[in-house]
Amino acid sequence: MNTWEYAESIESSSIVSIEKKYGIFFDGQFQSPNSKKYLKTISPSTEEVLSSVALGNQSDIDSAVESAKSGLKVWSKLSGTQRAKYLFKLARLIQERSREFAVLESLDGGKPIKESRDFDLPQVAANFFYFAGWADKLDISWNTKGLKPYGIVGQIIPWNFPLLMLSWKVAPALATGNVVILKPAESTPLTALLFAELCQEVGLPPGVFNLVTGDGTTGAALVQHPDVSKIAFTGSTAVGKYIQNETADRDIGLTLELGGKAANIVFNDAAIDQAVEGVVNGIFFNQGHVCCAGSRLVLQEDIHDEFVSKLEKRMQSLRVGNPLDKNTDIGAINSKEQLDKISSLVNEGIAEGGSIFQTDCDLPTDGYWFRPTLFTNAQPSYKISREEIFGPVLTTLTFRTPEEAIEISNNTEYGLSAGIWTEKGSKILWAADRLQAGVIWANTFNKFDPSSPFGGYKESGFGREGGRHGLLSYLKVQS
Amino acid sequence: MNEIKKTYKNYVGGKYLRSESGKTFRIALKSEFYEVPLTSRKDVRDAVVAAKKGFTEWQKLTPYNRTQVLYRLSEMLEGNIETYQQILEDSGLSKSKAKEDTKQALDSLIWYAGIADKWEQMTGNLNPVAGEYFNISHQESLGIVFTLNSDENSLNQLLLNILPSLVTGCSVISFNGDNSIMALKLAEDINNSDLPAGALNILSGKFDQIIDDVSNHVEINAMAIYKQLPSTDKKIIRENASKSLKRIFINPPVSGLESLLPFIETKTVWHPKGR
Repeated sequence: MNTWEYAESIESSSIVSIEKKYGIFFDGQFQSPNSKKYLKTISPSTEEVLSSVALGNQSDIDSAVESAKSGLKVWSKLSGTQRAKYLFKLARLIQERSREFAVLESLDGGKPIKESRDFDLPQVAANFFYFAGWADKLDISWNTKGLKPYGIVGQIIPWNFPLLMLSWKVAPALATGNVVILKPAESTPLTALLFAELCQEVGLPPGVFNLVTGDGTTGAALVQHPDVSKIAFTGSTAVGKYIQNETADRDIGLTLELGGKAANIVFNDAAIDQAVEGVVNGIFFNQGHVCCAGSRLVLQEDIHDEFVSKLEKRMQSLRVGNPLDKNTDIGAINSKEQLDKISSLVNEGIAEGGSIFQTDCDLPTDGYWFRPTLFTNAQPSYKISREEIFGPVLTTLTFRTPEEAIEISNNTEYGLSAGIWTEKGSKILWAADRLQAGVIWANTFNKFDPSSPFGGYKESGFGREGGRHGLLSYLKVQS
Repeated sequence: MNEIKKTYKNYVGGKYLRSESGKTFRIALKSEFYEVPLTSRKDVRDAVVAAKKGFTEWQKLTPYNRTQVLYRLSEMLEGNIETYQQILEDSGLSKSKAKEDTKQALDSLIWYAGIADKWEQMTGNLNPVAGEYFNISHQESLGIVFTLNSDENSLNQLLLNILPSLVTGCSVISFNGDNSIMALKLAEDINNSDLPAGALNILSGKFDQIIDDVSNHVEINAMAIYKQLPSTDKKIIRENASKSLKRIFINPPVSGLESLLPFIETKTVWHPKGR
């Protein structure tokens, strides 16, 4: 059913200028790392080396903490309105330079430009705008006594939405009067480094925002530092458990936004075409590198064949390729390591007896790629039904009764998100009450907003980001 | 006179139970001794089973019903107020202090009874998202909560360690040390109120003997520590908790809306608007 070919429409990368080498950012300046070591960051769509960034060590974290201490002295003396003004100004600057950020994000992380341009960057700016406005209203945000900032907050963010996760973390932390030491992901440091330049441009007091690039060892040094009084982490459940264990001997604040294996339930009375769109968006958005991805399609048995046939047809139209091509739906897998993990889980799914469908499309020769993949005939006990794959792989499970749908959906250690597709309002509310998940999308999926709290039940972590509830992740209640 | 006055029992799943180990420990009040159960690891596991059932039943009640149950408990308490005052006096409080404490305890119970059907109006809200969506954040109970109660000789403090999690709809395993006589006495009034069996379970014992079993138990969703613990104990709790990301609250607030916040999970639901 070949239709007309798309003509390439490549976003120019000339708008970004990438330095050969980046240091760490503290005291309001980029400085050479004490470690004297650097990491290469590559473009996962071409494997081309983009730059070298500092591999921060314990001593670099120490420098950042000293910087944060002096930053806190200044920041804690400012009024809420003064803090608000800095955040509003950052929001405005992000909007002004959003094209540059979007291209950089797609180059460094491999995500399609249409997503970085139309989703990530508008959301980044929106997060700074939203939390800017809270900075001088904390006293009326909750009916509680004495909300106080923690002080120095260590934040560790993942590679799937690098700048968006920065904004989810940094905007509320600064609005509530904390100062920040941020450790971006090893494979996607470049937009955070550009953000540091923006902090200089708005004249944010030195030490309020500090950035130490590096790998897992850098993150561990940040987590272990005794003067950090709050850790906020987004990433895998395994690392979240490590952090809770590692900080066991300290009375610190901890919020963890971890993995997921979301069920996307489609009842037989759903609007089928809309549900197909929603299921596709739910799993293939951002190559499936999404902690709340709808990776388990939980399908009512009597519509299985019709739904799967429509789903496969729709999947076939997904365009995989150059992230900078404006027609691209699915970009590059973020790293070789992640590609290997996805491939290995998919192979296990086949070995366990799942029926696999992959779209028929050409993949570029360089870079890391994976075809949109659907498993049917899978059992709840299969690894592909239980483990977070974090890639463009959807597993189908079937049910007969609504009760069974809930049971299958909740049968996981995770509890981050879930989807419900039905045209019957009472069934939506019934199911929403019973699903153990922090975010429920009904007749939609993967919607985000700075005013909407996000975070998990069970082993998907604790604490919320976004909304009025997100403020509590950065404020201590003093009794 | 060193006479053993009475042997109290644990209160689990709506029943008075001895420790399966048969072990007890002694608490002296005035010049008299009381034997109370020395809770074992098996007793903890049994309490979790009871609390699971209790959670389901407690959840079935409407918030309005929960208010009535807790108000009923306050009526029972008031009827037996002199017994509590006597325990407080026998444990060393003056008559006036004992009276003051029980008065405060009743007030606390009334306050928490009345918030069972209101707190969600203060913790939940619509979110003004940019787009044509209905988006609401509301709250659900965390699940099974283990509370390590303060050893203070106070009925009021005991209630303030139990009520915040109970009123949010969690089922509670309340663990007591030196204050066990008071807590196990309270179990009698709980039993006579209409609280579903297993929603509130009262145990007595030595925390250091069960610290690993509680903090490792994956079906206990949260631990609230109202007692001052040495940092070594806090470390053990948090290390064990990390295996299943159990929520740990060390000395959380004991009054106001903030006392409820640890025990709720926020759920946000989206739905598009359209014709």
